[in-house]
Amino acid sequence: MPCDELPDNLKSLWKEAGANPSMFTLDQLRNETNRLQAKRRKGQIVLAGSMLLMVIAYGLSLFIFPNLLARVGATLTAAACGYWMIHALIERARQPLDPGETGGVRFYRAELTHARDNCRWMSWRWALLLVPFILFDVGVAEIYSKMWPLIVWFVCFDCALLLAAFAIWAPLKSARMARKYQDCIDALDASSGSGQGHLQQ
Amino acid sequence: MSRAETQDELYQRAAQEYGAVLSRMAYAYEADPDLRRDLSQELHLALWRSLEKFNGSCSLRTWIYRVAHNVATSHVVRQVRSKRITSAFLTLEDAEARAGVEDIESSTDRNQSLDRLFALIQRLDPLDRQVIMAYLEDLDAESIGEITGLSPENVWSKIHRIKNVLIRRFPRGGRHAL
Repeated sequence: MPCDELPDNLKSLWKEAGANPSMFTLDQLRNETNRLQAKRRKGQIVLAGSMLLMVIAYGLSLFIFPNLLARVGATLTAAACGYWMIHALIERARQPLDPGETGGVRFYRAELTHARDNCRWMSWRWALLLVPFILFDVGVAEIYSKMWPLIVWFVCFDCALLLAAFAIWAPLKSARMARKYQDCIDALDASSGSGQGHLQQ
Repeated sequence: MSRAETQDELYQRAAQEYGAVLSRMAYAYEADPDLRRDLSQELHLALWRSLEKFNGSCSLRTWIYRVAHNVATSHVVRQVRSKRITSAFLTLEDAEARAGVEDIESSTDRNQSLDRLFALIQRLDPLDRQVIMAYLEDLDAESIGEITGLSPENVWSKIHRIKNVLIRRFPRGGRHAL
């Protein structure tokens, strides 16, 4: 491949850029590996702990609130939070393709597809969190409305906020991100020759 | 020689021979200096860990390029998610087209030329970045195909476009249009 066509000897200029590369000792790499593993374990513990706390909190509210709506809401909220957290734990445990054995196009496509699918997964599942929260809120408002009439307004405000967050903002954001990733996948397919057709095996 | 020693020795050889390549990759994939330092460490770490599985099914060079590009690509996908990349990637076609209409600035400064080259690469799609960087590293089309998984014809077509972009954006005499 001749390089003399290139202007201003661009290749030699390019190679000047790595004159002082960052170097890491093996001990540094081992320490960093241990640190990352500890961070990962900590993250999983925090996630699992949060899930357990949610389930316990809403489980307790089954006994605290006598209202049927609040109880149904609490049960569904605990279930929905558990579902989301289990998904998050599975996501964290996901093993990506082996970077040494996978070609660049396949790896990039897999990363994009995974990111897109994750956004798509989230898009309508926000509603799973919305409905139970609202049921729970309304149930609690029913219990305390006579004792504290202002709670009705508070619950209305809370429901409006939840609706805006879980029914409009979050799903739209997830859908927009999924589209963005899909655009990248389409561009990649076009650029690498209409999908996998021009790829090496 | 134990398995761990082999991995460590391979890494040391790889870092010695390809440390500069990894450093350039970090520059080409990340403009932010702090994130670049993190990416550089991530590249070395991923390389060291991956070498445990290296079985000689391809050359060490191909393995290193694949690992580094794939890890850097994951970094780019994460940046898309965290909204640091808001606009679409620049395609080679766009880069070719824009070279003709954008303002031409005069500069003979080598550092500035290099900055402009990195700026161009950082705007490209990760796949095009892989090809352009491998091309600038003097890898042949077959090696680039092995790293990216593209067919040789596709690699040649991309290289042809890349050459056009570079020639139009970095014309002889130091007049650049990035």
